[in-house]
Amino acid sequence: MKITFPYMGSPYMYEKLFTLLGHEVITPPKPSQKTVDYGVKYSPEFACFPLKVILGTYLEALELGADTIVTSGGNGPCRAGYYGEAQKKILRNMGYDVEFIIFDEPKKDIKGFMDNVMKIKGKSSWAQVIRTVKIVYDMAKSMDKIEKIVETKRAYECNKGEFTKAWHEITEEYRRIESSEDVKKVERKAIERLNSIKICEVPEKEKIRIGIVGEIYVVMEPSINGNIEEVLNAYGAEVERSHYISEWIDFNLIPLPSYKEKEHKILKKGEKYIEIIIGGHAKQSVGAIIDFMERGFDGVIHLKPFGCLPELVSQSVIDKIMREYDYPILSLSIDEQMAIANVLTRIEAFLDVIKLKKHRKKIAR
Amino acid sequence: MKIGIPKALMYYFYYPFWKTLFESLGFEVVTSDDTSKSILDIGVKEAVAEICVPMKVYTGHVLNLLDKSVDYIYIPRFVSLRKGIFMCPKFMGLPDMIKGLFDGIENKILTHNIVSKSTDISEFHNYTVFIDKLGVSRKDLKNALKKARDKWLEFRTLNKQGYDINELLTSDKPKKYEGDITIGLIGYVYNVYDRFVNMDLLNVFRKLNIKVVTFDMMEERIIQRQLKKFKKNMFWEFTNMLLGTAYEFMERDDIDGIIHITAFGCGPDSIVEPFLTIDSEKHKKPFMTLRIDEQTGESHVITRVEAFTDLIRIKKYKAEKTVEGVI
Repeated sequence: MKITFPYMGSPYMYEKLFTLLGHEVITPPKPSQKTVDYGVKYSPEFACFPLKVILGTYLEALELGADTIVTSGGNGPCRAGYYGEAQKKILRNMGYDVEFIIFDEPKKDIKGFMDNVMKIKGKSSWAQVIRTVKIVYDMAKSMDKIEKIVETKRAYECNKGEFTKAWHEITEEYRRIESSEDVKKVERKAIERLNSIKICEVPEKEKIRIGIVGEIYVVMEPSINGNIEEVLNAYGAEVERSHYISEWIDFNLIPLPSYKEKEHKILKKGEKYIEIIIGGHAKQSVGAIIDFMERGFDGVIHLKPFGCLPELVSQSVIDKIMREYDYPILSLSIDEQMAIANVLTRIEAFLDVIKLKKHRKKIAR
Repeated sequence: MKIGIPKALMYYFYYPFWKTLFESLGFEVVTSDDTSKSILDIGVKEAVAEICVPMKVYTGHVLNLLDKSVDYIYIPRFVSLRKGIFMCPKFMGLPDMIKGLFDGIENKILTHNIVSKSTDISEFHNYTVFIDKLGVSRKDLKNALKKARDKWLEFRTLNKQGYDINELLTSDKPKKYEGDITIGLIGYVYNVYDRFVNMDLLNVFRKLNIKVVTFDMMEERIIQRQLKKFKKNMFWEFTNMLLGTAYEFMERDDIDGIIHITAFGCGPDSIVEPFLTIDSEKHKKPFMTLRIDEQTGESHVITRVEAFTDLIRIKKYKAEKTVEGVI
């Protein structure tokens, strides 16, 4: 059994999980133009962009010898929950004899869920499984913590590119960990490393903070959103996302109410505009916009794949929020036809608007 | 009090229900005009650019109703029509979307959640909002719901006998149309029956002497039987119905070909697509996708339907001739 999985954010956590459980793992390559071309060629034309990229990722991993795909399902109504089934149909039709292990909510099909767990568990003991899950969870937490520092401080680096270089090296360090103690060690070293990078401070009043909200895949995967965080940092803006993998785990996988507080708070804030959960992260996106606004962020960028069902509803609401609060929000659609020059121009214009707004406020005072 | 019902989306499936419901409660029911260029243009202008054309049409109809000085515009929030199965997220966020697009429309909107066990949406608990908002008594509401349900079931029974919905909604003496070949038309009611958006597709078929069967003419149990083939049902109830109907059409000999009519950018349909294209080929059933949007031209629709059905006719009569020859 050679396992592969979708590529979203850092792939090293999934890699670690399966390797520590004793499986052979084919880590998919980072999505590239080739991935997108593959995906677009074999996916339905109007499928959303993440489905296409993930299908492309699978095809690349299959070329590398993978024979089992592990992914998550869902109970909708966002299309993402049905990706697995649709991709299975497409790949089988293409002649690939590939096994899919799709994790759906255990509530609906407890037997199917347990079967999948047993397949992943393999020959490891339960104690080993628990230990592995703990290590991977610590790793996710720790990596997100470091990434948040990078996203903030990179905006003020004196020599361009130092933080990005450090971040790549740090992730490679994480890739080598074996235990929870290793995670702590790597984290300490990473913080030291980041602190040693030369910072050209900017006065507090001139700092620009941008929140990124939207559909989880395009928010979390830099290779398909045009490295938007790095771009914003390069323009001197701090960035924070509405999605981090460790927070997703907290809300979706850990059955303790105290871990879900943050997400519930965000959902509550979105309730005025979208009353019920309509799938995907539509309500969270709107809630996160309000949250960023209340925390004093200067603007929000809303990312979504072209034609995304839930995010189109949030986009319909966003105009209203902009009017109501006179708050800058930029909505960007992402798909295979996205041109980087277009995105750069729009972001630049957006940041100019924000700077002007800040300047006017200062004068008014 | 005047209640406005936009002539779009679920209008084509539930209008008899809604009309009877509100009229039994003593309200006047006003519908928006038939979809027209001006309604579509307003919708295209006001709605989010990327959204599918049925939603743009709906937005246009809502504005059309505002011009008719109605007291309320009825925009229900369809959440679920079967346990564990939802509707397209755009339906679930429909009232939010309309509120987001227009300032100050909140108090003009009459909305409530519809969470039902089946497509029969008459369950009382869905309508309790009306008691306060419209000032009706529980008893009246219950009676009205019952009347509405009867009326709707009557409409559905005729529908399932093969009368198309436009006939049932617009004429007192509905007609059935026959033809020398039969096409299974897979598509949501608002794409199949909105004459403006689909360039009067049903009439195109009629002129070509083609009989059309749609999903709303199928018995639910047949659809459900087909859906059992899937380990995991799709999340959208009407999409499931299309899927079940399509598989039934693939197996039936009296259906000569299948046309899937879908709106540009329709999310659920994009997931259905690989299943239909792959399996119709396996069943050797001719299959075509007809995509419509605000820029669709009439000649485009006619040309494609003609070409597709011509091929089916050639195939059918050739096969019949060979059979004769053998005898």
